[in-house]
Amino acid sequence: MKTNLWLPFAMIVCLSTLLSCVKDTDFDQADEIALTPVVELDLIYFTLTAPDFFDSITQTPRLTIVDTTEIRFLDDSGVQENLKRAEFLFNFTNSIPRSFEVDFQFLSEQNDTTYTTQTTVNEGTVEAPELTLFTENVEGEEILQLTQANKVVISVSIPSADQSLEGMLNLQSKTTYFLEIKD
Amino acid sequence: MKKYCLLFFALWVGVAIAQNKQVLYGLTDAPQSLMLNPGGIVPQKKHFGIPFLSQIHFNGGASGVSVFDIFGESDVDINTRIHNKIFELNPTDFFTATQQLELLSFGWKNKSGIYFSGGVYEELDFITYFPRDLAILAWEGNRDYLDYPFDLGEFSFTADLLTVYHFGANKQVTDRLTLGARVKLYSGLISFSSTDNTGTFTTSLDEDGVNVYDHTVENADITVNTSGYASLKDLDGAGEVSSKVLGRSFFGGDLGVGLDVGATYQVTDRITATASILDFGAIFYGKDTENYQASGDYNLNGIELIFPSLADGEAALPYFDNLEDDLEREVPIDTLTNSYTRFRPLKVNGSLEYGFGDSFGGNVCDCLNKGTGGVWQQALGAQFYSIVRPKGPQYAGTLYYRRTFGSFLTGKVTYTVDAFSASNLGLGAVVDIGKFNFYITADNILRYGNIAKAKSVSLQLGFNIKIHEQ
Repeated sequence: MKTNLWLPFAMIVCLSTLLSCVKDTDFDQADEIALTPVVELDLIYFTLTAPDFFDSITQTPRLTIVDTTEIRFLDDSGVQENLKRAEFLFNFTNSIPRSFEVDFQFLSEQNDTTYTTQTTVNEGTVEAPELTLFTENVEGEEILQLTQANKVVISVSIPSADQSLEGMLNLQSKTTYFLEIKD
Repeated sequence: MKKYCLLFFALWVGVAIAQNKQVLYGLTDAPQSLMLNPGGIVPQKKHFGIPFLSQIHFNGGASGVSVFDIFGESDVDINTRIHNKIFELNPTDFFTATQQLELLSFGWKNKSGIYFSGGVYEELDFITYFPRDLAILAWEGNRDYLDYPFDLGEFSFTADLLTVYHFGANKQVTDRLTLGARVKLYSGLISFSSTDNTGTFTTSLDEDGVNVYDHTVENADITVNTSGYASLKDLDGAGEVSSKVLGRSFFGGDLGVGLDVGATYQVTDRITATASILDFGAIFYGKDTENYQASGDYNLNGIELIFPSLADGEAALPYFDNLEDDLEREVPIDTLTNSYTRFRPLKVNGSLEYGFGDSFGGNVCDCLNKGTGGVWQQALGAQFYSIVRPKGPQYAGTLYYRRTFGSFLTGKVTYTVDAFSASNLGLGAVVDIGKFNFYITADNILRYGNIAKAKSVSLQLGFNIKIHEQ
């Protein structure tokens, strides 16, 4: 009796080992896997004072001042492929009694303009600084243009300025990047 | 990124607690059980493993997820299932794979009753913990996690490929006690490890009013040690890499030493206790090492523009370069060639079993005395297993039933519980046909009907020539 047991026992072990299978699975679903992180990242910031808009040496107003920074991550191939939407938030605090035109010009490595946006900053006073929020949503075709850029030129224009002008213009900004990462 | 996800979720085959050979432990009819307890009962006079076939062992697994959890046919979107799994898993969950191939195995009993055994085996051992916070960051981003410190220290893994040369001795020192020890010489072929990392990454609203957020890396201290890798980077093709790695097998790699000890104690005629400690040792990596180290603190607020007065044609200030320089200065990433020591994953086994068997009826003792100790025809027992891993020891408990059929077959059924599975049934068999010995053990057999649902399975098999005392 006992010696007859070994065969079924061994068969169970061997069969369970050798005939194991994978079923009720669908590995094609791997094609549907997509990471969709939403990333918040600071962008640029600055504080300009009223005297920045007046050249004390030449005694002439500087009606437009410009600065440029690279943002090399934007035209990274990974970002180009995966960025679906970008939402810029520009938060201005103005205590200068002038309104401002602020232009954002995105340039490619070859200095071709790929995307532009602009806003008007309301005038404020030293006693009561004015807050201006500006959001820019970029998606669809525009996102393809935006992600060709690797630098941004910021131009801040004031309608008029003189030596007596007081106050400051502050910008804080961030971008929300909506990514969809697939293979 | 998707490939990494797939890799994570594909690494499911194996045991939840790596290297636990709970079915083979105590199966003294298989000479390889001496590798799990050098102080085990040795029934044979001599044994020779069939080269390259005396022990083929593979396990690997995921402690908290199975293939079916992710790729099972379901109405729920796969991304939702992955999302849910990420939040279900803990940073102590892990993915692991262990593979061993015995190249040589032999043993003999001398006139003093000491059973000497030795051999050579190759081992690949890999474990990575689930970096939950980093997975959340990759899957969700940081928008919904303001003020949440993502733990960079969850990044923890080790991978070692080594050859082990071993020689041991086993002796029944009293009627009740058998002791054994085994010395191991490790030859490390390739090693990667990154453990004991620290650091956090936090995005929070900037209270200083500089910009909208503070993106802060705090107390970062992350090290990746490699050995045997740097010299492979410049080799051309898999052929050159294989030949270089194989060349290290014969003491060409970094050396280490280790010790196994074990004992079997006959508490009563029916009750037997065993215990063993395996791989108490370390490998000293000094050849061909390369270490990557990043440490420091950093706070990012974006890029501050200062609108300098520039002449026509004058280049703009290199804000972005400056930012990168700042980051590299505050959190430098150094490539070093420091030696380091890697302790082997220490394993502890223990068992207590009750032997019985009177199937012939009456008071006939049905135990099979094969030489140095008594092995009952049947036994019920409990086993304990622990392995020391980078984030602390992992444990498993096993209940088992062992039975010997005639003189040529021993079978064992196990039920194993560990922190991650309470439904792990294992089966093992050792067959002696004349001098030919074959054994096969597998666990998680309930899942073999659909192995995709298994978080873990394990398999060991091998062929030996055994010569008993006549």
